[in-house]
Amino acid sequence: MNFWFAVFRQAGRNLRQTWTSQLMTFLTVSLSVLIFAFFYLIYTNMIGAGDRLSDDLRLIVYLEDDPGPEMQEQLRRKINNFDKTESIQFISKFKAYERFAEQLGEDSDVLTDMPKDFLPASIEVVPLKSLRGYNQIKLFSEYLATLPGSEKVQYGQEWVERFYYFTRLITIVVLLSGALLILTATFMVAYTIRLTIMGRHEELELLKLVGATNNYIRTPFLLEGIIQGFMGSILGLSALYVLFQWISLHFAGPGLLNLFNFTFFPPMVIVSILLGSIGLCTIGSFTSIQKFLKI
Amino acid sequence: MPKLVHNQDPIEPKDIPGNTMIEMIKVSRTYAPDIKALSDISFTVDTGELFFLIGRSGAGKTTLLKLICNMDTPSNGLIEVAGYNIHNLKGKKLAHLRQKIGVAYQDFKLLSDRTVAENIAISMEVSYKKPRAIKQRVRDLLEQLQLTDKHDALTGDLSRGEQQRITLARSVANSPRLILVDEPTGNLDAATTERVMDLLTRCNKAGATIVIATHDSSIYKDGNHRVMELRSGKIHSLSRNNR
Repeated sequence: MNFWFAVFRQAGRNLRQTWTSQLMTFLTVSLSVLIFAFFYLIYTNMIGAGDRLSDDLRLIVYLEDDPGPEMQEQLRRKINNFDKTESIQFISKFKAYERFAEQLGEDSDVLTDMPKDFLPASIEVVPLKSLRGYNQIKLFSEYLATLPGSEKVQYGQEWVERFYYFTRLITIVVLLSGALLILTATFMVAYTIRLTIMGRHEELELLKLVGATNNYIRTPFLLEGIIQGFMGSILGLSALYVLFQWISLHFAGPGLLNLFNFTFFPPMVIVSILLGSIGLCTIGSFTSIQKFLKI
Repeated sequence: MPKLVHNQDPIEPKDIPGNTMIEMIKVSRTYAPDIKALSDISFTVDTGELFFLIGRSGAGKTTLLKLICNMDTPSNGLIEVAGYNIHNLKGKKLAHLRQKIGVAYQDFKLLSDRTVAENIAISMEVSYKKPRAIKQRVRDLLEQLQLTDKHDALTGDLSRGEQQRITLARSVANSPRLILVDEPTGNLDAATTERVMDLLTRCNKAGATIVIATHDSSIYKDGNHRVMELRSGKIHSLSRNNR
């Protein structure tokens, strides 16, 4: 008989004898993984959507009048002095009219009686991608509003603000559910292993007396922790995948999900969640059995 | 990763200085608040010896055996088993030494929800003996103790006499170098007592050192063994039987 044969047999015995508490732990670990992974999935998708939205981000500075070439150069210099930009484009009143007419398409005749300079001139500022944090954009827009001749700055403030706060909320939820996962999984596995140890105290005591090494006694319990972590996270992630498929199927089409391009975790994240769960459950069982071995 | 091979065996005869298996020097054991279970015990047991420890209930026999197998710690004095201070050993070394010490406890320490075979096998499993060898050894021992029909019975369902024999079988199963037996015949009739003593004698002839704690004079009155009598935790006499 070798060490691993003995360990697997012992772990099998443990699982058989305490299957009800093992089942409860397994379900708790699954649920913890599901809760955490669910919010983490929303978080990653939000971040992805945020990145895509920021690709189209531009600040529009409406001006009182069309600036002359010299003033354009001055304004360009002023803007670049504050922050680096990808592009700065001046839109004259006439060009604004043309764009608007183009956007109206077949309905452009509504503009026939309108003067060609009724729209304000503007500057379209596209900030650098690396400088698109919410606070930076806010500061930038405040600065642009102070430029001479500036009437108003627009960049979809309300939408950006709401998106920013929603992302922050999700981040907090992910962190909280992560902490919950850590506490729940570790505690539950430690508790179950402790119950098993209490239930088999006589046997473990006897094992020590007949010369079982600490590894012989400890390893089956660690194996239980690993199995709990692995199986629990597999079930949790599978349940999340089913939920993801259901949402994708029922909410497909030109709605919110298309905007978000809702995607599941890449393999690396799945492996990380699996390893994290296994690690936590193993730590839980390790702390329980160490207490017994010290007695 | 635990090592699978025991390359360090602290109780092999070559490691025994002066062929001494057990050495006790001025050993005392006091329990709180001030109960002296043993005081100033000094004696030596040679390798391969069959040694009897006698005395009335409460004389300190069980405490002495517990100290030898490291189930209990002395308040004072030195205890060496196979040349090692057993109370200084820890971890793997202690485990490997315990694998070479078979103990038949007075309170049996059987797992009542396990079968007879599983209970006996446990001492061999921790030494990673092959399953086939374990099965064969279990069958042989049960046959020797006339318990073959109890192979698959739960030990919780057995009589005290049967449980006592199972405890003894477990203590000798792993062919230990030192066997400590606490009252092996307390619940047995004369014929079974003889069978049990036959088994222990066979182990002794095979080279095992055996210490038997008993108050049953019928098992030590014959033979040329040393007998140590304890009274109130002290050595009252230590002599050799001359019959």
